[in-house]
Amino acid sequence: MDDVLWYVLASSRGGPTRVRLLQALEERPRNANELATELDLDYTTVRHHLDVLMDNNILRRSGDEYAAVYLFTEQVEAHWETVEEVVETVDATE
Amino acid sequence: MTLWLSLAWLSAGFNAVLLVLLGSVWLRNYRQHGASHTLGLLVVAAFLLVENGLWLYFYLLNPTFRGWFLSTGTDIQVGVTLLCGLELVALLVLARVTWR
Repeated sequence: MDDVLWYVLASSRGGPTRVRLLQALEERPRNANELATELDLDYTTVRHHLDVLMDNNILRRSGDEYAAVYLFTEQVEAHWETVEEVVETVDATE
Repeated sequence: MTLWLSLAWLSAGFNAVLLVLLGSVWLRNYRQHGASHTLGLLVVAAFLLVENGLWLYFYLLNPTFRGWFLSTGTDIQVGVTLLCGLELVALLVLARVTWR
């Protein structure tokens, strides 16, 4: 899981954007639309990155397709110190 | 029978192009945040780029190597071509997960 977090968040093209998404979700669960508004990104871009994060078992969806909010998986919560380390390192808000 | 020789240098060439593209992603990310994980991938890409440069030199510029390659049996030609060909498949997989 640690390697996955580093790869998906630090060593891939969309990593910095995905870090911003995780930072927004850390404040509170949000749906894709809210995330797009919050980060001033395209809805399709946000959905793409959320799909990547779900493919890699970092996020899960609660509820139905459209209004669904995104939550961290248990697997990620078990590796939370790594998440914090990666987010702190990448921190795309500079 | 230059088919395998062509396929071999084309594979090495594609590998080099892919490595430059991957390296550019990793370099940009590394300069942005300096994560050691990304630096590790950059180092891997650099060595693989040198490796493919060496293959390109042998395939295109070294007459002795070209002569040996063209005069040897098909089994060896296919086998040596697969060295770069299989690496190309591996790099395509890596590119797919890196580009997302």
